[in-house]
Amino acid sequence: MSSDPTITIKEAPEPRGPYVHARQHGGLVYVTAQIGRDPHTGDFVKGGFEAEFNQAIDNLEAILKAAGSSLDRVVKAQIEFVEEKDLDAMNRIYGERFHDPLPARTSFGAAFLWKGAKVQIDCIATLD
Amino acid sequence: MPAAHRGIVSRRGPQPTGSYPHAHVHGDMVWVTAQAGRDPGSGELVEGGMAGQMDRAISNLEAILEECGSSLDRVVRTQIMYTDPSDVAAMDEVYARRFTAPLPVRTSWGVKFLAAEPGIELVRVQIDCVAAVG
Repeated sequence: MSSDPTITIKEAPEPRGPYVHARQHGGLVYVTAQIGRDPHTGDFVKGGFEAEFNQAIDNLEAILKAAGSSLDRVVKAQIEFVEEKDLDAMNRIYGERFHDPLPARTSFGAAFLWKGAKVQIDCIATLD
Repeated sequence: MPAAHRGIVSRRGPQPTGSYPHAHVHGDMVWVTAQAGRDPGSGELVEGGMAGQMDRAISNLEAILEECGSSLDRVVRTQIMYTDPSDVAAMDEVYARRFTAPLPVRTSWGVKFLAAEPGIELVRVQIDCVAAVG
């Protein structure tokens, strides 16, 4: 491989396992699912679902920026969340953070997420 | 299917149990069907709990990728679904041993159940991927 296609930055929570923040291929950047961890402390942010989801999107945004992309170039987002009651808050916050042209989206309820995370979000975005 | 698309079924992966190939190749990318820890010969789930299943599932991915002209180090993204939160450490230990830099991005989450047949140990984990070809 001619150059390293992967990106891991300090402005998003350090990976807690064997993966990178982002990897580029073919004009697209793929981003690892982000949860509501503070990039500096690595701890979950306080404030429940809404705070966690906003922080997760902040993390995603920081990684996209470092990769040379941005939230408005996301083509597909995928969201896993644990509590059905959080659905309305999820949709509201997502609507505040993502704008036209909106990405395609898949979201669903998971049985559980790592360390009790309430929500996570990943994405694929363009680099153009 | 259109000429630019190719479905791949490898003798080196467990035979698909439904209407899907092992992988679908288009352009310079291959999309691989989620693999469980099934023995490619017998189709049976291997022993060893999460560690055994994860290791076998990644071996199945690897065999399918190689058949498609790719390899584990060209995997761009993986998705892992697992059934027990207490399996995370074993899952990561095997994953870290099998995937080496440049590492793929990863999304994993817990699910209620994974496909299994009566009378055998439950499927604890499955993993799919998207990889570069060539």
